[in-house]
Amino acid sequence: MLAVRSSHKPSATKRIILAIAVGALLFVASNLIDEYRIFQGAQVAAYLVGIISIVLLTGYSGQITLGQGAFMAVGAYSASLVVQEFGLPIWASFFVAVIAAALFGAIIGISAGRLSGPYLAGATLAFAVGIPALANAIPILGGEQGLSFDIGYAPGKYADTVSPYKWLFWICALCAIIAIVIAVNLTSSGIGRQWRAVRAHETAAALSGINPARSKVLAFTVSSGFAGLAGVSFSATVGLVAPSSFTLALSFLLLTGSILGGISHISGALGGALIIVIIPTIFESWTEEASLGVATYLPGIIVSALLLLSIALAPEGPSELLHKIRHRHRH
Amino acid sequence: MIRALNNRIRVGAAVAAIAGLALSGVPAKAADAPGVTKDTITLGMTSAQSGAASPGYNKVGPAMRAYFDYINEKGGVYGRKIVLKLEDDKYVPTNAVNKVNKLILRDKVFALVGNLGTATHTAALKKTPIIKQQVPDLFVNTGYSGFASPKKYPTTFMYLPSYIMEAKVMSKYIKDKFPGKKIGILYQDDDFGKDGLAGFKAAGLTFVAGGTQKYASLSQATVGLTAQMTELKSSGAEVIIIFGVTSATAVALRTAAALGYGTTWGPQFIMGSVGADPTTLLTLAGATTAEARAATLRSLTGALSLSFLPAATDTEDEYVKKFIEINTAYNKGVVWDNNVLVGMNQAMLVVQALRAAGQNPTRASLIAALKSKGGTFASAGYSKLDSANNVGYTGYWVGRYNSTGVIAPVDGGKPVVYTADSSTSNGDVAVSTFTRPAMPADGVPTNS
Repeated sequence: MLAVRSSHKPSATKRIILAIAVGALLFVASNLIDEYRIFQGAQVAAYLVGIISIVLLTGYSGQITLGQGAFMAVGAYSASLVVQEFGLPIWASFFVAVIAAALFGAIIGISAGRLSGPYLAGATLAFAVGIPALANAIPILGGEQGLSFDIGYAPGKYADTVSPYKWLFWICALCAIIAIVIAVNLTSSGIGRQWRAVRAHETAAALSGINPARSKVLAFTVSSGFAGLAGVSFSATVGLVAPSSFTLALSFLLLTGSILGGISHISGALGGALIIVIIPTIFESWTEEASLGVATYLPGIIVSALLLLSIALAPEGPSELLHKIRHRHRH
Repeated sequence: MIRALNNRIRVGAAVAAIAGLALSGVPAKAADAPGVTKDTITLGMTSAQSGAASPGYNKVGPAMRAYFDYINEKGGVYGRKIVLKLEDDKYVPTNAVNKVNKLILRDKVFALVGNLGTATHTAALKKTPIIKQQVPDLFVNTGYSGFASPKKYPTTFMYLPSYIMEAKVMSKYIKDKFPGKKIGILYQDDDFGKDGLAGFKAAGLTFVAGGTQKYASLSQATVGLTAQMTELKSSGAEVIIIFGVTSATAVALRTAAALGYGTTWGPQFIMGSVGADPTTLLTLAGATTAEARAATLRSLTGALSLSFLPAATDTEDEYVKKFIEINTAYNKGVVWDNNVLVGMNQAMLVVQALRAAGQNPTRASLIAALKSKGGTFASAGYSKLDSANNVGYTGYWVGRYNSTGVIAPVDGGKPVVYTADSSTSNGDVAVSTFTRPAMPADGVPTNS
């Protein structure tokens, strides 16, 4: 992943080979670790895709979002609906989630194209609040209890030998790897450069022939597609698509993860996802006293404190900080 | 010579001591079951310890732990101490899946006890290995009748009487005491509320036009029920059923006061058991202002509610009396109320189930013991615990709150307990003939 920053960028083919190697490594690892860690691995993979969607939009295109949970919800509900109502196979529902969320993102992107900075953040925040409430009010979406989304067991003869957790992990990890490859290729392509140019200086970008409005809408659309994939992966881990899964807290959690990992690089997404899944687990196992108010809120307090520290000490994220330190040593 | 004799005596004494210990019930070896060691039995629980729905319910888990601490001090279950891992799911299904997965896969608990919430536990049953690993899922703290399904959920046993039973008992009481009156209802819009609606339908209770109101309270805080309560008021409902969680019930009562309850408006409120703990209702109201507390109390005074346990204020009751003692000593600083009673009683049932499972319990022996002996366990419940059919308690009594928020049987004297089943094809209700077993000496079960 560091390759993104180096001057000798690997070709798309090399990236794909690297991704296959990582996939193989994860496959082997999934046979060595216990089921709970595998379950957490699936969660990390789902959050990872969600964070990438923020990194693309905010880190690369410079558009602030507070409502990524809403786009995840659109993807997840679409996936569940096409399985339940039209009998589509589960694998196809993942594509539907991406397309539906991307379309939704395109519409929002066009209408929000005139907004920027805090105004855009406000608009996306409204979606984060509104979409779960809306889902609650539409009967076909199953109200508060939502819809079931069951990825079931491994196919054929593997159903008995492969644990449901491994199956879940493989699917989520595959989605995450595909998402990373696409995101890395995209950001190192002309489109990625256009996004960064618009983020750095909109007028200058326009003078050099880039259409900033179109570039922003495209970023919104692509980012929403990733969010849709994150939404469907996340729903697979809990077997459920419900308003309570896509709260404002989820949007903020993903944003926190993206800042902690480093919002300006795809490589930070993995760190961010690991932090938001692992930190609560560590602190919960330290305290193990849910009856104490402080223990219940401790993981949230710690993650928030890390966020504040990160913004104060390394606003570009720890990965950027490390990069700068390394860079300094070279001179 | 003398030294050799002394040694022989010492060896003899040691052998006798070991034999004595073995006979007195200390297990010789660790049982072959997850979560059971030579010295401990680890149990898991998820509940709403924080979040919008948590007030009141967040006291149940710690109350269970306090009772277990008491039993541990008295020697535990056949020498093993009970460890309760309590996880906070915030009443959100997604969290419940995460937490139950953690309890089963990482903490490797022997059994789940008292998991609270309908939607949360439905999600957990669907996406965690409760069924696959045959994890005993004891005394689920909800009245959703769908859980009492030995075929679908073979290891799940309920604690509360079903919401269908509750609705039937409520319907009978309303029909008997308020014939011809217009009825309205406020219910939680999920399987909890819908189960209740199914019971009212089975009992043939009909609601006035505009008098069926719902609220959603799982993921969002119950921000306001003004719209719903105003609708109920304008529907002309004379009897209003509130079938919701405690936090929502508190808001409903406070809103009713603001809409003129007690002055220009005087419907009869009747509340479901899970939302009716007066201490929590008044604490929730009082958390804002003294006026808010007074307003809630005004709406609560004269309201009716159903209960399956004795009133927490009934200090003459032998179970209540003992549990208050345990609460004072082992649950320090926690105000005694109905939630603490619910938790202690639940924990006492768990201890009896563990004892019935034998000296070296397995998950299978625990389930078998509960099925065959659950109905005989001593508990504060006024009706039979129908564990043979995976059902919880089977009856309710009707009480009325006085002006200080204390509930007492409507007809004075001993509560009359009504029993029903969870069938939706009839609304039959009968007066229970159940005789409650006496409290075990010192509150410590000795069953086997």
